[in-house]
Amino acid sequence: MPILEMNDAGVLLQQVINGLSLGAMYSLLALGFTLVYGILELINFAHFNVFMVSSFVGMWALELFGLSGQGQVLTGLPLAGVLFFAFLVTMVAAGALGVFIERVSLRPLREVRGTAAMITTIGVSFILFNIILLGAGASAKNFPNPLPNLRWNVFGAVLELREVLIWGIAIVLMTALQLFVSRTRLGKAMRATAQDAEAARMMGVDVDGVIVAAFFLGSALAGAAGLIFGLYYNFTSFLIGYTAGLRAFTAAVLGGIGSVTGAMVGGVLIGLIESLGGQLIAVRWTDVIIFSILIIVLVFFPSGLFGRATPSRS
Amino acid sequence: MLSRRKLLLELPLASVVAATAFRADAAGKSLTVGIAFPFTGADAEDAEKMKDGALLAIEEANAKGGVGGYRIKVLLLDNGTATAGQYDPAQAATNARKMVSDRSVVAAIGPQMSGSGKAMSPILSEGDLATITPSSTNPDITDPKFAAEFRPKGKAVYFRTVTTDAFQGPNMANYYARTLKAKSVYVLDDSGAYGVGMSNAFEQQARNDGVKVLGHDQLNPKEADYTTVLTKVKALNPEALYYGGVAEAGVKLVKQSYDILPKAIKGGGDGMYSSDVLKGAGFPAVAGWYATIAAPYVMDNPATGPWIKRFAAKFGKEPTGYSITAYDGALVILDAIRRVAASGKPVSRDAVREAIQTAHLKTLQGAVSFDQNGDIENRVVSVFKAIQDKKYPLDDPIHQFKYMGVAPQTS
Repeated sequence: MPILEMNDAGVLLQQVINGLSLGAMYSLLALGFTLVYGILELINFAHFNVFMVSSFVGMWALELFGLSGQGQVLTGLPLAGVLFFAFLVTMVAAGALGVFIERVSLRPLREVRGTAAMITTIGVSFILFNIILLGAGASAKNFPNPLPNLRWNVFGAVLELREVLIWGIAIVLMTALQLFVSRTRLGKAMRATAQDAEAARMMGVDVDGVIVAAFFLGSALAGAAGLIFGLYYNFTSFLIGYTAGLRAFTAAVLGGIGSVTGAMVGGVLIGLIESLGGQLIAVRWTDVIIFSILIIVLVFFPSGLFGRATPSRS
Repeated sequence: MLSRRKLLLELPLASVVAATAFRADAAGKSLTVGIAFPFTGADAEDAEKMKDGALLAIEEANAKGGVGGYRIKVLLLDNGTATAGQYDPAQAATNARKMVSDRSVVAAIGPQMSGSGKAMSPILSEGDLATITPSSTNPDITDPKFAAEFRPKGKAVYFRTVTTDAFQGPNMANYYARTLKAKSVYVLDDSGAYGVGMSNAFEQQARNDGVKVLGHDQLNPKEADYTTVLTKVKALNPEALYYGGVAEAGVKLVKQSYDILPKAIKGGGDGMYSSDVLKGAGFPAVAGWYATIAAPYVMDNPATGPWIKRFAAKFGKEPTGYSITAYDGALVILDAIRRVAASGKPVSRDAVREAIQTAHLKTLQGAVSFDQNGDIENRVVSVFKAIQDKKYPLDDPIHQFKYMGVAPQTS
């Protein structure tokens, strides 16, 4: 039931702020699905738990500085330094994990037709999940957060420093990706491979290199999302991959899987649907609302909002 | 399935059993007590501490030469699965079948969670196997109204060394209304059997006490984000928040409500009196949270202090309130076995069940005896508040929660 008693506008604005923060995370995660799908036409379910593992890597990176819980607050240059280091470590580690997964479990299956590769990614996902469960334990972890608790009142809603930071980092990373794909040689090679891998190979594109790059970039963005998740919620656990991964995958499909712009827009839309749907209808219906909208969109735009009709591979 | 396989939990246990093996082996007679808690998932740490409480009683008895001429062995089962991320009623049912089919098992301790209890109780009833739960508080399981569902063979098999949410929820509502003087409250639960039952009972009594209930929403424990629901709650500006549920959703609720509802009175049931919550959420987020346990405050008992020292020395960690109820439950079972053996009858499941039913035993929490449904006759709900004590580890509820008093009974 819609129950809005006081300062309706403030509450809605607050939910928009919540939704945009969720959306930033979903977008980063959705990009990983879309980059890999665009090139290999493979849904990479290991991505769910690359995200989860990287939030642990981020936690360990922050703990290297002696941070634990939310007790110690840093400001200015030390804060920027610590965050830069943590993001760098997490993204490189996540990227390397993605490349390792591709090299070990997917490349040998490259020429196998059918669903073998996709099922393999599900298996890899379970392996990552269980490694963290057995290695780090089952309990929820208190994620270190050195951000000062700055908050501003904006038209009756509260905007926090960490939200601004999350949006900023997401925008920088997504802009960088967009520039990379559209401007660089490797980006061009990626787009060529996505259109037609055979033809690209004949034109001298190193298709294996392109695939490695796609896995590295997608996983590194999942790494950033994992660290952002920890900084935003101040917690992580071995379980976080599933729900966030599924929402992000939905975002990628909603935006048009294979489309970089689509993944970004889809992520933000899913975030907003989640928070505004929860406010205006009921939180327990969140998944129903998200998937109903997905189905409605796919009925009218079968390849998603920004997707192009998939070229036949035969 | 990967997630359903039993963890390596039996390894440390095997060494425990081996260490106590020789003394009673001379006689060669042994009996088994089943222990089923969710060792995988969000409540793992509290589950371990309850298991340790029960093990302490059993090992101390074995060290004294066993009980009634029997060495007591333990069958340890994991009620949690990685897929569920916490207790899993389907796994609990499987474990109940395992205990029933092992003829050496004469009684059991567990489960931690009411959701598991609902799945286990009918199976235990069919197998005539009595269990004592140190923590599951949903009243339906022992309520004679639901006897056909939860104890089809009629006799009580689900005994408790804690009272039920028929007291825990309403008494806390009385505490909110009378002691904390809350005028309005928003209720949340974690969609589990325990959380839903207790929060509904709370809500009803809160209305009776004249507290305005502004709403009641359900959290999905697998979801990470509760900012949406908390923003909604904030707009209604309640004086207090009550959460019925366990640690998986609880940790995230504590974290996020600390940011969004810093001023509200916040509290929950025994699901929040938890090492997992303290450790996962940490101070300052958890500071000021109220929690209850469905048992008396045991630190008043002079035997408790030395017991805590023995526990800490043996397991290298501090117990929780429900380590004590688990220890008490194990004492009741051992006493029942002793009495059956002393009477000269064979120590069968049914005889042990009868002996538990008629127990009247002095334990750490006081005298334990049960009514015809298996519920403990002492119905005290104790209230605690999280206040940090830096001298003790963070995940030590006995020291990080300060005793506030007994929650008032509805009269």
